[in-house]
Amino acid sequence: MSAINTKGNGWLESTGVLLRFCGRIMGEVYSLKVFKYFGEALRQCGILILSSTIVIWSLIFIIGLQCGIEGAYFNRSVGSPAYAGVFAAWCDLRELVPYSFGYMMSAKVGTGIVAELGSMRISDEIDALEVMGVPSLTFLCSTKLLAAWMVLPFVYLSGVGAGFLASYLAVVQQIGEVSSGGYQLIFWMFQNPPDLLYSVIKGMAMATTIVLVGCYYGYNASGGPVGVGTATAKSMVLNIVLVHVIGMLGTQLFWGANPRAPIGG
Amino acid sequence: MMGRKREINRLPTVGERALMPAKNLLEEAGDMIILTGKTLVSAVKPPYPYGGEFVSQFLFALKLCWFPLLISTVAFGYGAPGLQASNFLVLFGAIDRLGGFFVLASIREFAPTVTAIVLAGVAGTAITADLGARKIREELDALQVLGVDPIKNLVVPRFLALMLVTGLFDVYALIFGIFGGIIATLVNGAPLGPFWATFFTNASTVDLWGSVIKCTLFGAIIAIVCCYKGMTASGGAEGVGRAVNQAVVIAFLGIFAFNYVFTQTLLATHPEIQVIR
Repeated sequence: MSAINTKGNGWLESTGVLLRFCGRIMGEVYSLKVFKYFGEALRQCGILILSSTIVIWSLIFIIGLQCGIEGAYFNRSVGSPAYAGVFAAWCDLRELVPYSFGYMMSAKVGTGIVAELGSMRISDEIDALEVMGVPSLTFLCSTKLLAAWMVLPFVYLSGVGAGFLASYLAVVQQIGEVSSGGYQLIFWMFQNPPDLLYSVIKGMAMATTIVLVGCYYGYNASGGPVGVGTATAKSMVLNIVLVHVIGMLGTQLFWGANPRAPIGG
Repeated sequence: MMGRKREINRLPTVGERALMPAKNLLEEAGDMIILTGKTLVSAVKPPYPYGGEFVSQFLFALKLCWFPLLISTVAFGYGAPGLQASNFLVLFGAIDRLGGFFVLASIREFAPTVTAIVLAGVAGTAITADLGARKIREELDALQVLGVDPIKNLVVPRFLALMLVTGLFDVYALIFGIFGGIIATLVNGAPLGPFWATFFTNASTVDLWGSVIKCTLFGAIIAIVCCYKGMTASGGAEGVGRAVNQAVVIAFLGIFAFNYVFTQTLLATHPEIQVIR
């Protein structure tokens, strides 16, 4: 068997291991075994809200400002400054809010999970859990996934609000070439509830992936304190790539064939 | 009486506690600025012992980042500006304008930011993990005892290598981002000639140097934040992981805050790049 396991298919094997691990975590959540540790899940919710929400909102806010000024200057250059809302609406809701949410999730939550679980692994705490008869995968990983699913849709929705507010501030208050009412009219006309739903789906797909990848690298960390650092860095690489791929696939799936704009035939 | 006195004594500690996060934040920002200053000074002051380390760090970042960056920029270029903008332009029958839009979207905005995100996430985290490991194994202290300056021998080469590599990767990201735009054009069944025509009439050298300079400065931010966090890692097993976590969060926030200021300044001071030709 070891002859087959050469360098060439190492990545294929590790992809399979990663997928099986993720499948096990999700299976524990779907089979509702995780509700035995609902208290732990609630504790993870609290940690998520207290430690990560503010940074996620602030990154989305900064990117909303960015969308706003680019939109204002772009629409000025084509001679229609009153239509900056089109650019801001599409840029915020459809693309950059999911991306910035994914970036900050992988930076703050993903690496945080790896650091926490990795240090538990190398100080043999996970083995101790198993010895005490607590299924460590359910207790540590599935509760985190459940917590993410319970809390993050709301964090995401309020983050969308932060992005919208930032774009409004940048276009109307800072650049100031369109009146507040004119901006709002165009801004709300170029989006509708399904767009928001698709955006949330995109964001939650990223969040789920990030939590699972974080759990995988943390749970399987080895090699002492240095190994924890290396695992944290490695999880970030995979997360960044997956965030971009999910963002692209989401755009293709939801808006690829239908621009969902209130104009044109 | 005694009880009241104790309460009065406790008051300042509560106040200190409330202000502790703000104080820590300011102290950390100050420390990073001091590190930047020290790095710049020791980079130009002779002797220059960091040549070999500079080359190895440069190659290390290059090897680690080229593939994630390729996937990220093609995906981002095809999805965000490519599909959404071409959807919008197709409604007006003006898909040829996508090239002009890519000057704004790719050169000015997302090539530098995606490069910085990938470099911070891939090379920056590796630097923090490496330096953090050396810190908690007390190798950095050992270096200092041997009379080797860790800033000159470890921080300066990483700082210069990361600045150079992000600046060069910006051009790479730009090419693959535009490749994403080309895929979006072809998916819409449009010819590529008009794409290139509007692209090259709208492209200006100001945009290009603005993009490369912005990206180089992103590299400086990433290097300083990641080196600082690595060199101040503490707390045993969890310490290095925590350091990587904090480094990447601070680097992302710093990158985007700086990006906002830079873009705003560039657009306000160079009105000629805003004219659509």
